[in-house]
Amino acid sequence: MTTKTHQKHKHSTRMDSFSLFSQPQVSDDSSNDILTLFELNNMVRQTIHDTMDDCYWVQAEISEAREVRGHCYIELIQKDEDTATPIAKASAKCWSSKWQRIKRIFFNATGELPHSGMKVLLSVAPDFHEAYGFSWIVSDIDPSYTLGDMARKRMAIINELKAQGVFDMQKQLSLPMFAMRIAVVSSANAAGYGDFCNQLADNTYGFQFHTELFTAIMQGEQVEDSVVKALDNINSRIDDFDVVVIIRGGGATADLSGFDTLRLAENVANFPLPIITGIGHERDESVLDLVAYQHVKTPTAAAAFLIDHLTTVANFLEEASVRISTTIKHRLQTERMRTERLAERIPLLFSNVKTRNNSLLDKLQMQMNNAISRHIMKQQHFLDLIEQRLKPLDPKIQLKRGYTITTHNGHTIKSIKDIKAGDKLVTITADGNINSIAKK
Amino acid sequence: MKYEEAIKKLEEIVSMMEEGELDLDQLQDKLKEAQKLIKLCRDKLTKTDEEINKLLDDNQDSSKA
Repeated sequence: MTTKTHQKHKHSTRMDSFSLFSQPQVSDDSSNDILTLFELNNMVRQTIHDTMDDCYWVQAEISEAREVRGHCYIELIQKDEDTATPIAKASAKCWSSKWQRIKRIFFNATGELPHSGMKVLLSVAPDFHEAYGFSWIVSDIDPSYTLGDMARKRMAIINELKAQGVFDMQKQLSLPMFAMRIAVVSSANAAGYGDFCNQLADNTYGFQFHTELFTAIMQGEQVEDSVVKALDNINSRIDDFDVVVIIRGGGATADLSGFDTLRLAENVANFPLPIITGIGHERDESVLDLVAYQHVKTPTAAAAFLIDHLTTVANFLEEASVRISTTIKHRLQTERMRTERLAERIPLLFSNVKTRNNSLLDKLQMQMNNAISRHIMKQQHFLDLIEQRLKPLDPKIQLKRGYTITTHNGHTIKSIKDIKAGDKLVTITADGNINSIAKK
Repeated sequence: MKYEEAIKKLEEIVSMMEEGELDLDQLQDKLKEAQKLIKLCRDKLTKTDEEINKLLDDNQDSSKA
């Protein structure tokens, strides 16, 4: 406060003796000059009431917001744009009577409740209470301002992800054909997780999904740390899973703040398995949804997506098996016909072979017979020749011509010396033997 | 003995006979051997023919069934 301001005030005469740098003065009329704290605070209250009796639209960042007994208590802050050092702070309150209406409208528009880090445009009136001090009383919050800011922040995150080249990375993954081992990031007791598991288990095809829960806080400021940690845990056992599902129930009443952060988006975008999000956005998509492999509205829809995927695969396999079976039948039929055609030709072909071989054998047999005949004839002829040559030499023929053969004791006498007087001789003629005795 | 071996042997014998390389006693022996080989070959042909027809008949029966 400046002195100038004080001078405008109706208590300015009293305040004149008051300066930030003056020393307390003790005098006889001190009881008139010295104020009680209440009096002083009351002066402030009056001053504010008199000089700032209007409502003001103020833009500020929320550093803290909490609801107590239906009233909302908000800590506002303004940071230096370059250094992020706080350059203004103030408390603000929204009484239950207004807050319940504002909250509903604000949430319907933004999908979030006021939370730390959110930029808001508030309609405020100053309030100073002697005992409780200064605060702004909130009479309205303009959600469109926050929406704009959220959109700007989101766009900044999206641009950063695109600059890093990771924005579309999840979209380039493909869901394994048999995506049945599912890592679920959710809070354990949330209805959404139960809905998801029930939906998966009740599938009409009897598919057996395996789910494992990686618990995470799915609301408030710890979402980022908690979900990133869950993803890290899954990553360390990456071979055990086909797909990751980030879900939470609650839908319209849930606060979606905490999901639109760069770090979380980076973790999801870079994750090696396809991630399906079902984090209950009713209106637009969070950055997480945009970078995820697939986003759906609810946990139930996430389960339905996985069942549909497996159904498609099952149908594909069914069709493939029918096609394989048809193709094989057709092929077998063709081969059978081909074999039959060939088989029909075999007897004819073999009969040719048989005929050819038989004639070869006949030929060999004939050649052999001829060779043998020739050989025999040749031998026969040779024998005949010998016989011809022997014939004239036959002794019987000589005997018939008048020659005789004289023998002594069975030996042919070829010389006169072979006999002596008195030897008995046998002379052989053609028609009989002559017995005689040698005289001399 | 395989069919081809038998035929080869047979051709050798006939060739030897035609060349007149054999004496009468050898001729007789070789003739006996040649007759055996011829019988073996003819039997083999007949047997193969029968087997082929049998196999084809069986095959046709099974494919019909």
